[in-house]
Amino acid sequence: MSLEIKDVDAHYGSTKILDSIDFSASHGELMGIIGPNGSGKTTLLRTISRILKPKVGTILLEGRDVQGMKDKEFSRNFAAVPQDTTINFDFSALDIVLIGRNPHLGRLELETEKDIEIARRSMELTNCWGLAERHITELSGGERQLVIIARALTQEPKVLLLDEPTSHLDIKYQIEIMELLKRLTTEEKLIVIAVIHDLNLAARYCDRLVLLHEGKIITLGTQTQVLTAENIKNTFGAAVIVKKHVLTNQCYVSPSSVPSPLKHQAKNEVIHLICGGGEGASLMHVLAANGYTVTAGVINLLDTDYEVAKLLNIPVVTEAPFSPITQEAFQAHLALVNKANVVVLCNIPFGAGNLKNLEAAEVALKRKKALVVFDTTNIEKRDFTNGEAAKRFIALKTKGALTVKNEEEVLKAIK
Amino acid sequence: MMVKPKTAYFDKFIHWKMVMIYLVAILCVSIMLTTAIGPVYVPPMEIVALLGSKLHLCETASIPHKYEVIIFQIRLPRIFLGLLVGLALATAGTTLQGLFKNPMADPYIIGIASGAAVGAALSITVLPHFFSIYTTPFMAFLGAVFATFLVYTIAQTGGRIAVDTLLLTGIAVSLFLSAVLSFMMYRVSHDLAGIFFWLMGGFWLASWAQVKIAILPVFACFFLIYMFAKDLNAMLLGEESAQTLGINVEAAKKILLILSAFITAAAVSFVGTIGFVGLIIPHITRILVGPDHRILFPASALVGGIFLVWTDALARVLGEMPVGIITAFFGAPFFIYLLKKRKGGYY
Repeated sequence: MSLEIKDVDAHYGSTKILDSIDFSASHGELMGIIGPNGSGKTTLLRTISRILKPKVGTILLEGRDVQGMKDKEFSRNFAAVPQDTTINFDFSALDIVLIGRNPHLGRLELETEKDIEIARRSMELTNCWGLAERHITELSGGERQLVIIARALTQEPKVLLLDEPTSHLDIKYQIEIMELLKRLTTEEKLIVIAVIHDLNLAARYCDRLVLLHEGKIITLGTQTQVLTAENIKNTFGAAVIVKKHVLTNQCYVSPSSVPSPLKHQAKNEVIHLICGGGEGASLMHVLAANGYTVTAGVINLLDTDYEVAKLLNIPVVTEAPFSPITQEAFQAHLALVNKANVVVLCNIPFGAGNLKNLEAAEVALKRKKALVVFDTTNIEKRDFTNGEAAKRFIALKTKGALTVKNEEEVLKAIK
Repeated sequence: MMVKPKTAYFDKFIHWKMVMIYLVAILCVSIMLTTAIGPVYVPPMEIVALLGSKLHLCETASIPHKYEVIIFQIRLPRIFLGLLVGLALATAGTTLQGLFKNPMADPYIIGIASGAAVGAALSITVLPHFFSIYTTPFMAFLGAVFATFLVYTIAQTGGRIAVDTLLLTGIAVSLFLSAVLSFMMYRVSHDLAGIFFWLMGGFWLASWAQVKIAILPVFACFFLIYMFAKDLNAMLLGEESAQTLGINVEAAKKILLILSAFITAAAVSFVGTIGFVGLIIPHITRILVGPDHRILFPASALVGGIFLVWTDALARVLGEMPVGIITAFFGAPFFIYLLKKRKGGYY
């Protein structure tokens, strides 16, 4: 481990802002700091960049205590990009980048060819060498951010600290800057620590995430470990849905406004959803918002449907992650099916592990329950049981299940 | 993508050298020309001849003695004192505009002018003249340093100086000291003209002795401030950025504040509070050479010197008008012009 933050407490006056912060980052790692406003993200960055002195604890770079370093020596190891990068004086972009050589030069020493070469390399890395002669005051926010990052790189640091480098930028520059940070870690082996406001950007690019809340680390780890609906509810106090992107396998977070069904809207019908894989999430919302009592099963833990159900306080029969449905879960599931007025079979794929969910639908039909089946994706495409599931699914339709294509049709069918 | 060969950057250093050479040349010519100007016109050729004779280069028996007195005892000390004061005010102005990251700052913003004025007024009205003719300069200097110290102490919290607090404290202390000054002028009806003239500033009393006293502190402060040129550049990026660039920002701020207070106090103590030089000159120079303090300091010092040498010459021609009136007369409209012209950045 190269940068170690050891049990650090930091205060503003007598207010404790950081409480026992303890983590480390290694060369070539892009670390994202996330957390709600006022959780201490910027303070953490300021503490690492030695602007704020920790009250307790130490920060070690390659085993050396950073407090023991001289100012210039420190700035040859750590470079920081602040949140506010506006500059009111008319320097050229290259002038600004060359200020980054300050830690390497004496008070009255002029820049040499070598310094200009380093500045040019930094500007090429950040893709802004074309702006070298332009005035910093006439650059756009995104261009200026690239120049400021180039300035930090010109310090030739080992650690790069950035405070919300993508806020106020359009999507093009958000992507450009995050890709740049990624490149700096993989190719230049820098340690990059960035406070990132946008959880999805953080998930997409960071190797690991630190989730801060009230000055403490709540969780630290990969996006899957950190970005759970529960963690976000507990820290940000916001209800969200976390899904995995089908192409990139990245987490992405979207808001789920939790409906609060009005009393007069409340209905007596109980609707049971057979779902999983995120297929039931939006229907859960729609039904709950319309005042129905919703139940669901059998869903694997960590599934999006499970997280949404929890947020909506929907009773669920669960199964361990990535495990086939056990007999026990199946029986519990049937109990819920029994209580329901309508059973909805969502557009889920079938494999050997969840054939028991299909069986539950068959049971529902046998017990004269109204059965609604989604048939959006052709059953053959979501059948991974060599035709067995498809056969039984078609049988359901012939035995009186009502076929729907979307949530509106479900609502109509229920009425 | 290559924009320009990288040697283009070094052209900047050549450009800086050229600017300095031009400014020094303009200064020399200005000194020559303004020596001629005054209530008594001395033809420039006579001045050259006089200088030659002083340096034993040629014989000039034909030049009247009164010219020699006018030039060596009256005009040249005035010009050199003007040069020093211009240099000092411009340097202090540049420093404070850099420190406050605000081109609207000037050397008087931290209470120097009003402090010096109270000191000077005290010496003119109530105090015995314990240092004979140097009592007023001495008291003005003391007042300036005291006011800065007061502002500095009030603005400091927990060993740190927040620049916006400093700015507001400076304004508050200035207002208070102005009230003290007004009170003194109200109670003491005699010597009002003395105070009045001191407040507007002028070089009537300039002498070689004054130049000798002022030259050392002014130049010493200038060179010490110049050592911080790069630090000030970095501080324009923001104090925290400067800190991560290896600069001890708090120490730099304190040292620069003290030095600029000192250099300004040294300047105003002899000639009174000449306004607008510290505000306008760094501005004009920034338009000429850009915002890099490594060139901005020497260039604005020279421009400041040239400016005061000429405005004082004008003051002489206009029947010994206080030079502060002229600097403000030209300074204020020019300042408004700059404000209007300013687009995104400040220069």
